[in-house]
Amino acid sequence: MTIILDPGASLAHDIADPGPDAGELAGRKIAIRIDMLWRSWDWVSEIWAEALRAEGAEVTFWRSCGRTGEEGEQADREYGALLAQSDMAIVGLGNCGSCTSWTIADALTAAATGIPTIAVATAHFEGLANNLAKRGGRSGLRLHVLPYPLDILPKEQVHDIARNHYRSFLRNFGVRSGLAEQSAA
Amino acid sequence: MAQGWGDGLPLIPPTQERVQDFLIAGGRFPDELIAVLPPLRAECTVEKIAINAVMAGCTGDAMPLLCAAIGAMADSKFDLAGLNATTGSVVPALIVNGPIRNRLDIPYQAGCLGGVASPAVAIGRAIRLIMRNVAGQLIGSTSQSVYGTPGRVAGIVFGEWEERSPWAPLAERRGVPGDAVTAYGAMGTANICDVVANSADGFLDMIAKSMAYPGANGFLPSSAFAETLCAINPIWAEVIAKTYPRIEDVQAYLWDKCALPIDWFRPEYRDPIANLGRIKPDGRVHLVPMPDDVLVMVAGGEGGLHAAMLHSWGTCLTVTRPVTV
Repeated sequence: MTIILDPGASLAHDIADPGPDAGELAGRKIAIRIDMLWRSWDWVSEIWAEALRAEGAEVTFWRSCGRTGEEGEQADREYGALLAQSDMAIVGLGNCGSCTSWTIADALTAAATGIPTIAVATAHFEGLANNLAKRGGRSGLRLHVLPYPLDILPKEQVHDIARNHYRSFLRNFGVRSGLAEQSAA
Repeated sequence: MAQGWGDGLPLIPPTQERVQDFLIAGGRFPDELIAVLPPLRAECTVEKIAINAVMAGCTGDAMPLLCAAIGAMADSKFDLAGLNATTGSVVPALIVNGPIRNRLDIPYQAGCLGGVASPAVAIGRAIRLIMRNVAGQLIGSTSQSVYGTPGRVAGIVFGEWEERSPWAPLAERRGVPGDAVTAYGAMGTANICDVVANSADGFLDMIAKSMAYPGANGFLPSSAFAETLCAINPIWAEVIAKTYPRIEDVQAYLWDKCALPIDWFRPEYRDPIANLGRIKPDGRVHLVPMPDDVLVMVAGGEGGLHAAMLHSWGTCLTVTRPVTV
């Protein structure tokens, strides 16, 4: 009998649980991971940060830049230090192939510390984000999906999108607040 | 194909017997772990390399090169996770130095970037099948490449014509003398033609200015750094070396000329580029940060007239590894 050997590899052990809910916002430290690629994510996250601060949270931004070589090692140390002093993490933006890869990698790092974590991607890259999370061993990773295309829109329009998505974002993140529990408009 | 293992070309069935023969010829233990490959974060063992290499039509004597290449690509500096997922059309190009070029018949003369019959095609295809089957790089699923590139089928595997180079071999300059492989994240290959120049500065001007096109990833307002690679044919290399016997001077010349004035870019690009600190006092933006980031090698036919440029994807840093048996 001829035996054909399998050239492929199997998936890592999977965690389907989304991890802890974000819960209350007041008095909590929230890390928002932004990047050097997407101005639209800067615009969305500044609206969300303003709203989170209004609910009593303390928000810290961290910008992901070069992730290879010495610069990358330094970035990993900075990001790890930020996560160590944060109560929850918002990680974006998956809006291309490589940036979705890094967004999910950074979200998985945050989730692995046990803090409530949510990744953010645009609709075109939702499938990639879910695939990478699954292949990274955490298919349950929370993901909030923004419209696509996003980065070609003017700032005012992106701000409107951020405001319109804020409530559903809170729900996806498991936030307990009056606003999150209101039904969508 | 039905199993999802293929690239569209016929495959050689990886029977137990064929894989065993390959492993014996390759002289490695099957359970040896070579690397963990993203996005699947899968363990790539010698056996997995052998199975895919058999499917691609490789022979066992390529095993040391395959293992070294996979190891280089899995180095965190290379950012294989991003490279395998990107919308870009990047593929790891493998440049081979040392006597192993001749032992494996890796092309470095005429047609070295494609078209010449060589085992390099099967070696490149084996690497691509490993990316597909072991690493899990699949278009539309884990790879978002908008166009892809022909190099994603049989790779880009070529050598340096060290015997005709007036400078030390690329890998040796990168600290790895002898048999070595350099993994470089290439956005395909492009040709530079010049039928007028007859001086070192003339050839280098044409190469540098051709490399400086605004859509190159190195000019992205989001790119903190990039590298670039050019292959110079031996006829031009000989002329260039008479004026610039030190390769560092060739790199410095290319780096200097491979730049664009900032006012060449539309206004909306200027602030992001300035924020990265990339505008020099003379108002120019260089494709790559430093002269060392211009990789230069000698390869190609004796017909001259052409150089080849391989732009880098950006965030992946070139990695050179020794090829050991």
